[in-house]
Amino acid sequence: MSCLKTSLLLSAAALAALTVVPASAEFGDSLQQRQQRWAELQKAVFNTRTVSHDEKAIQIEAPGRPEDASMVPITITVADPANTKALYLIIDDNPSPVAAHFTFGAEAYPKQIKMRVRVNAYTDLHAVAETKDGKLLETAAFVKATGGCSAPAGLTDEEAMRGMGDIKLKVDSGDMSANKPAEATLLIRHPNFNGMQMNQVTRLYTPARYVDKIGVAFDGKNVFNLESDISLSSNPVIHFAFLPDAAKGEMTVQVEDSKQSHWSQSFVIPTVND
Amino acid sequence: MSPLAALAAALLLAGSAAAYGQTRPSVPEPKGLHEGGDFGYTPSTIQGGTVLDTLAVAKLVQAQHPVLIDVAQLDRKPPNMSPDMPWLPQHRSIPGAVWLPGAGSPDKDASFDTALARRVAELADNDKAKPIVVFCHPDCWASYNAARRVISYGYRNVYWYPGGMEGWQSEHETAVIKPDAAWLASKPVELTEKK
Repeated sequence: MSCLKTSLLLSAAALAALTVVPASAEFGDSLQQRQQRWAELQKAVFNTRTVSHDEKAIQIEAPGRPEDASMVPITITVADPANTKALYLIIDDNPSPVAAHFTFGAEAYPKQIKMRVRVNAYTDLHAVAETKDGKLLETAAFVKATGGCSAPAGLTDEEAMRGMGDIKLKVDSGDMSANKPAEATLLIRHPNFNGMQMNQVTRLYTPARYVDKIGVAFDGKNVFNLESDISLSSNPVIHFAFLPDAAKGEMTVQVEDSKQSHWSQSFVIPTVND
Repeated sequence: MSPLAALAAALLLAGSAAAYGQTRPSVPEPKGLHEGGDFGYTPSTIQGGTVLDTLAVAKLVQAQHPVLIDVAQLDRKPPNMSPDMPWLPQHRSIPGAVWLPGAGSPDKDASFDTALARRVAELADNDKAKPIVVFCHPDCWASYNAARRVISYGYRNVYWYPGGMEGWQSEHETAVIKPDAAWLASKPVELTEKK
């Protein structure tokens, strides 16, 4: 610990001594650069619309120091699901910052979303809720992750692609009834190659191939559509809630990846032994 | 090995591993450049140069204003990305570092070596005694390779910082930097698409 403290003191002196760095960067440059980055991202994603900070309306939970940067668990909770039209998860420092854009349909109950994402560096994460009356409300968390984007999948490409497109849905349907929120977990088998993973023998990059669209519907009525990209972890897992208008029904999941492969699966819920 | 020597060796190893926060296995140095993928456990030594931990890099930066060379790869845009999704890569590094993406390639083409040697000479003001720190990410061979090349050009004070940007970031402020324009203009081989 004392070692850390010493080096922190040294760093201040060291940075101050660096003549090539502009004055503003001597100390606390990160904060300023992070604010600039967020301003840049707001412009890129929301154009001229105002994005208001509102910690009551939307919350984001993320581990401060995730164990595995390639699967960082994120929980987004909104205070008023009935008034929520869409949700964005933005990972500021990722090269492709919009990790997820959910748009909710008639059968949605967007109280809470959980998912796993790749986080490239020490970065802010922003969760933004778009309300039905057109407001954009955001909150942020800071994550100290390292190397989530270029870490190899740990398997050969062939192994990682085995079973690609398998879809599973677990519905917590113990006492499912009409117009009562129910929770579900969607699991999709897909390597989600982000194009930055280098083959350890050939030095060639595994071509990018990732899930970019997911659609979930209950009895043909939309729960949510998700636009995603390379920030989604391998084998995406998404936990969500929905508001069925009947005690029984069929949940359909559609998945498309960046190579235009398409998979679809239907699940009768509640499951049989009820 | 005597128990005392073993203890000393263990402490030495622990010291170098602590450089980037956790104990990591290390591997023997290759004869020449490492030719496999960039990612993997790296050696704890470098022939002709010195391995530094974060504290030592901070001290060196303060005392000697070394040339800081970051050889991390560029982010690669997926070719079929939706136009709706913004692509806005940015790179953080040690403040004051010069970013030479791809300079850790094991490429054998002589033009690659020429381009790197020329750029390093410019950065070091042709001073072979100038301290030069080479780094990228932890468990990344690119910085080892690049440091080996710089050593081979005759620089006498070459430092390899295997902790890299992440090691630095765990204790110090980082800065957003752009790739070095002169280096990109020299069209280093590693940056061109292989597929």
